[in-house]
Amino acid sequence: MKTLELRNLAKTYFDPYAGSHVTAVHDVSLDVQQGDFVSVVGPSGCGKTTILNMVAGFIPHSGGEILLNGKAISGPGPERGVVFQSFALFPWKTVLDNVGFGPKMRGVPKAERDRIAHEYLELAGLSHAANRYPNELSGGMQQRVGVVRALANNPEVLLMDEPFASVDAQTRMTLQEELTRIWQERRPTVIFITHDVAEAVFLANRVVVLSKGRVLDEVEVALPRPRVWDDLIEDETFKRLSAHVLHMVRSA
Amino acid sequence: MQRDVSALQPRWLTRGLASAGGAAMFVAPLLALVLIWAIAVPLFDINPRVFPSVAAVAGAAMESIRDGSLIEHIGASLLRVGLGTLIGIVTAVPLGIAMGVSPAVSTFLTPLFRFFSVLAGIAWIPIATLWFGYGFGAIIFVIFNAVFFVVAYNTLLGVSTIPLTLRNAAASLGAGRWALLTEVLLPGALPNIVTGIRTGLGFAWRGLIAAEMIATNVGLGYMLFVARDFYRTEVIILGMIVIGAIWLLIDRLLLVPLERSTIERWGMVRRA
Ligand SMILES: Nc1ncnc2c1ncn2[C@@H]1O[C@H](COP(=O)(O)OP(=O)(O)OP(=O)(O)O)[C@@H](O)[C@H]1O
Ligand SMILES: [Mg+2]
Repeated sequence: MKTLELRNLAKTYFDPYAGSHVTAVHDVSLDVQQGDFVSVVGPSGCGKTTILNMVAGFIPHSGGEILLNGKAISGPGPERGVVFQSFALFPWKTVLDNVGFGPKMRGVPKAERDRIAHEYLELAGLSHAANRYPNELSGGMQQRVGVVRALANNPEVLLMDEPFASVDAQTRMTLQEELTRIWQERRPTVIFITHDVAEAVFLANRVVVLSKGRVLDEVEVALPRPRVWDDLIEDETFKRLSAHVLHMVRSA
Repeated sequence: MQRDVSALQPRWLTRGLASAGGAAMFVAPLLALVLIWAIAVPLFDINPRVFPSVAAVAGAAMESIRDGSLIEHIGASLLRVGLGTLIGIVTAVPLGIAMGVSPAVSTFLTPLFRFFSVLAGIAWIPIATLWFGYGFGAIIFVIFNAVFFVVAYNTLLGVSTIPLTLRNAAASLGAGRWALLTEVLLPGALPNIVTGIRTGLGFAWRGLIAAEMIATNVGLGYMLFVARDFYRTEVIILGMIVIGAIWLLIDRLLLVPLERSTIERWGMVRRA
């Protein structure tokens, strides 16, 4: 079943300093099935963040359509959860209250949303940090909170914009493995944006390659799950797919 | 050694000793000043009309406590400053938030608010007495506007520096307008609001003393002003000590803990 459809999506920015228009997204069409995991890769400036911000409803699109379960979206909404590169945790809320924020907005009573938040913190191995404030956590821990905060709200689609770009390489690999594990357990629909080709292939069922605001190609990733780096790093299929995608991105 | 001891002490005791130590460090220079004063006045045989002795001020303190006049002046001043500040905060914070939400509006209003922040307090006394007459109204107005412009300006600044991603995060988690206000904008601007209140209250306290010299017949400012007419330097100095001491108490017992319990705990830096 199709959850999310992008139909000929386009975005033109007005640059007030240059006094001219910049077309960041020309024509992007994409179907995402329910429970699918799609990575979007492309060189810097190809319009990845712009697409995600339009789907999230943070900025309006200038052309085409964004349909969620057949209905056009308008503005941000809880059915589209977002994980930010900068984590975007509320510094004045404890970890527990950050994760419980979505349920709170739905009117879930305190005891119940604390239970939900604890459940998701356990999923991320963060039960011990429930009563801490975000500034007391490492970057990796903060982004784990960012991921489960979005998940705890049961969104139809999870939108992630380079969520692991600002943590160190070892932590990033752990977070990637955790994300595939959580995805297998909960089966959220995910759009994952990155410019790291290996990351895109490691995580996704399908990799969409963007170039200059257009879809260049889509690559199916039929690697078995669960996926762990120790296995995949030597895997021939993984290496071949990664090389193929990398080649496309570099020539894009 | 130091370490071993603190490891054995319960936490509240360690913390209690630390804050007692902090208080001692804070009081010591003040006591040193009193000591110098106690020595200097008899040493140089200073005329009490120029500067009173410690004993004379202590006597004035005892007397004014006994006859109830000191409490009456303090009460009147605190009531005015409390009321004016409350009205100032309650009006300035919502206005500051409403204005801070729109970058265009906040850019437009920032110079105005800076202008009025500088004028806050004392400069308004003459016009306030023309508008409200001599008395309660004029004084409350002076305090109100000392607090209002500074708090509104800082709130506006605080809201406009909240990262857009935090607002987006809240919206994508289902926050509506009201939740955005109470869950994001207000706590996000709190570091600046507290800074604004601290600065504004400082202006208000000085404005109050000045206004009370002109526009009323009770209060600490009035107490100083009347004592001057009778050359009672010991009452003037007593009043000055009380004014300074009350401000230090308000700041350290009210404002500093407020900052600690929120901003420092959250790891937020004030962006003044
Ligand atoms: N607010 C804006 N105003 C004007 N131009 C913009 C704006 N945001 C993005 N652009 C332009 O649109 C293009 C696409 O930007 P976008 O941020 O979507 O790229 P990206 O693929 O996410 O890049 P990166 O990998 O570096 O994050 C770029 O040329 C950028 O300069
Ligand atoms: Mg980007």
